[in-house]
Amino acid sequence: MTTVAAPVKTAGRAYIIELGLTMGLYMLAVTARPWLIDHAANPSLVLAAKLSPVFPIWLTFLVIWRYYRRIDEFEKLKFLQTIGIAFGVGSCLIVTYSFLEDAGLPQLALSWAWPTLAVSWALTGAIMSAVQHR
Amino acid sequence: MKNDLPALRAARSMTQADLADRLNVSRQTVNAIETGRYDPSLPLAFAIAKLFKSRIEEIFEP
Repeated sequence: MTTVAAPVKTAGRAYIIELGLTMGLYMLAVTARPWLIDHAANPSLVLAAKLSPVFPIWLTFLVIWRYYRRIDEFEKLKFLQTIGIAFGVGSCLIVTYSFLEDAGLPQLALSWAWPTLAVSWALTGAIMSAVQHR
Repeated sequence: MKNDLPALRAARSMTQADLADRLNVSRQTVNAIETGRYDPSLPLAFAIAKLFKSRIEEIFEP
């Protein structure tokens, strides 16, 4: 009797591959977006072109969810601790910057929120991993 | 929580990776349990006890 799904051992590798693919798709969508918007034949296609990066973003969420489902209970605990701290720090950074905009810093698009959270997540993961392996 | 997992594992010439495979968890999880950094859930503790043909309280002590 165990509490985990079968592919625990391959979860990390599968995650890296799937995340790499979705990130590649995201970069492709962001890069091709201006051209697609310029060459869209009608308003519906313009809207589809404008929203094209959204599809890989939702795929990324799916990849992360699949990884969570595959890992064991201890890995799940570490995962949730990391994401909790990272998104807390990331949210504080975003709110802080929104007030700094009033103080004269350049205005950034809302789309910067996700990369901010992603970088915060990566840094928190690296710090927590370093602390655990000390 | 203290435990006798390293001794039980050594008595059966099992590595942490072997035990992890048998329990379907990662080697890091076995290491965290053995070093007391993580207390396993009840289902995982039962799985460990079953594997070593022992009772949970014979392996783990508070």
